[in-house]
Amino acid sequence: MTRRALAATAPTARPGSRAGERCYPYATVLPVMLVVALFTVYPLIYCVHLSLHENVLTRPLDHDFVGLQNFREVITGYYFWRSLCSTALFASMAVLAVTLYGLGTALLLNQAVLGSALLKVVVLLPWAIPAVISGIIWRWIFDGDYGVLNGLLLVTGVVRRYVPWMSHTVTARLCMVVAHVWKQGPLAAVFLLAALQVIPPELHDAAHIDGAGRWDGFRFVTLPYLKATLALVLIYETIVAIATFDLVYVMTGGGPADATAIIGWYAYTEIFRFLNLGHGAALAIILGVALLGLVLVYLRALGSEET
Amino acid sequence: MPNMMRTRWLPVLMLALSLLAAGAPTPARGQGGSVTLNLVSWSYGVEIVRDNIGKFQQRYPGVTVNYNDFSWATYHDAMVARFVSKTPTDVLYSSDHWLQEWAAAGWIVPVDEQFPQVRQYLTEYSPFVREALTYKGRIYGTPYYADTFIFVYNTDHLQQAGLATPPATLEELTRQAETIKAKGIAEFPIVLGWGQQDPFSIESFTSLVFAQRNGSLFDKDLTPTFKAPGSAAEKVVTWAADALGSRKVLSPTSLQAANVDQIRALQSGAASFGIIPSYSLAVLNDPGQTQLAGKFKIGLMPGESHATVGFIRFYAISSQVPRRGKEAMTAAWSFVDYFGGKTDGEYRVTKRWSLEKGLGFAQTALFADKDIRAAFGKWADVDMLQKQAQLARAKEGMTPYYGTWDVFSRAELHKAYLGQQKPAETLGNMAKKWEELKAKAK
Repeated sequence: MTRRALAATAPTARPGSRAGERCYPYATVLPVMLVVALFTVYPLIYCVHLSLHENVLTRPLDHDFVGLQNFREVITGYYFWRSLCSTALFASMAVLAVTLYGLGTALLLNQAVLGSALLKVVVLLPWAIPAVISGIIWRWIFDGDYGVLNGLLLVTGVVRRYVPWMSHTVTARLCMVVAHVWKQGPLAAVFLLAALQVIPPELHDAAHIDGAGRWDGFRFVTLPYLKATLALVLIYETIVAIATFDLVYVMTGGGPADATAIIGWYAYTEIFRFLNLGHGAALAIILGVALLGLVLVYLRALGSEET
Repeated sequence: MPNMMRTRWLPVLMLALSLLAAGAPTPARGQGGSVTLNLVSWSYGVEIVRDNIGKFQQRYPGVTVNYNDFSWATYHDAMVARFVSKTPTDVLYSSDHWLQEWAAAGWIVPVDEQFPQVRQYLTEYSPFVREALTYKGRIYGTPYYADTFIFVYNTDHLQQAGLATPPATLEELTRQAETIKAKGIAEFPIVLGWGQQDPFSIESFTSLVFAQRNGSLFDKDLTPTFKAPGSAAEKVVTWAADALGSRKVLSPTSLQAANVDQIRALQSGAASFGIIPSYSLAVLNDPGQTQLAGKFKIGLMPGESHATVGFIRFYAISSQVPRRGKEAMTAAWSFVDYFGGKTDGEYRVTKRWSLEKGLGFAQTALFADKDIRAAFGKWADVDMLQKQAQLARAKEGMTPYYGTWDVFSRAELHKAYLGQQKPAETLGNMAKKWEELKAKAK
């Protein structure tokens, strides 16, 4: 077919409709772009703006530009380093526990046992429960006056009287970790289970023929295959643990004293209780940058593992 | 082709229209009346509130009330979020904790500017109520209820321990608690609602401070007096740390307990002594809720002066209302007046709360009301209640930064109770924070 013939068969479009066709893709993408800008870019810019200005809600007329003063005040403030230490302690305990729980559960679920399909669903359930609800459940379980944990321990003779778990700094922190693991562990287990299921069984058979025991099989066959997924779990769980807020809000309110006042809670307190939006925004930015740094470190480690 | 283009554009147009529709503001006018008011309260007696709203709407057919409630522990934060996000809020519950903070932020407006008739009620209020409702000489609402913190004890426990009278001082309280503990009646005889999440906790602590000799937290210039060695506050903090740590007579759950948890511990017989808002005694002595009903009595707040905190929760008008115009403002005033003021010559709603829930009142004359005396008499010694109420004082340091200091102090006090730092250090930190906030507020 000649070019002229092709031109003859082509639909004749008016100039206006051609312009409409050119605009159409942009117009369809625009709403999405606007939504992304509205819910991601604008809050970010606004947060930076807040952090650079005085913004105490009880002084609504004072919004002077203060540069980095909010950052300086936050970092030199009474609670910052304490909450940073609490966050580091909580995150390290939580990430380790979630990873171990996930790994253990995944290894168990990977065995071909009766009802394992049902078990996989049941194990995932806590992850599907909203964090606030799971926090309330665990607060009741650990309650010092009527908690079911105390009831069980008393009946089985482990304790002589009810223990106020949430009233001591050490046990309150542990309670938070337990609740966090219950909520986050299932997701880690699912990730790791997926990775376990792609390991070729012949590798384990070969290792077995070579005389490897269960531990050696795990160490030299399973673990190398899980490394990438483990790194992913570590990154995700570190972010989640550091940014935890809902459990503190529901379970402890940062107490007793400031034992569970991790940095997410501190930012919330600055905004909603101390009414200092400038400080809260500065803290949120510090938290965001710290998380970004951590992710980059993890990614670099993961990259070097892969090469 | 043009048809096809039109078909393609249609979803885009529909999406844009639906977004516009979703973003459209809630109409200010209700279907049933000409003005709609959005009421926000904390969750207490919700059915009574709804019933009162129904009666109000019958009396004012031109006004429709939409109602939302949040838990007491999270109310402050929820309201801050509502105010900042400008969520429609017209009339609301507030507390003397937050009056100055919310007024300074411009979230609530003085009522007497447009409705000076609210001042006619002032003469009928207890002095602490007048003080607690006022900011910069302006009145910010009408009372929902006014109450005092009282000291309660389980008469059975005292009798079993061979104790004839309730403790009059903190030292005596410790001794009696030790006796009760030694006799195996209660492992931790004292329970307090000192959980950090409960806004009552600072009022409970302040009650104990007020009850001591020279019991005060600030002087007239709002300079902290509590950090002085040997202050009443230091005495209370030292007492609490000792009762919790060494003597083990104060229940450790107190540090996580809200008022409701404290009530449960007392109702179950796990504890013998507590400090509660007086209306909670109605719950403690309610036969429908506990077998120990009738066993709880009021003792004057342990300390040399027996003074206590008197507090008020009130109906306020949001600053969104004046912007909506005179009609909305008049409707809001009608609401605030109906709920916290007089209707046909009597405090109808106030009295209802007192009769049905045992809530205290701002109007001293109601202590003489026959119905109220009869209703209160079922769960309390009314004369004793009145005696303690007469010793009540408004909280000190009521400023726009009191709320911030309160939250900071709750955590600091815990550190002293848990023995993480000395009482003097805790009080020093609290004073430093106060001075810092005061300096910034200037």
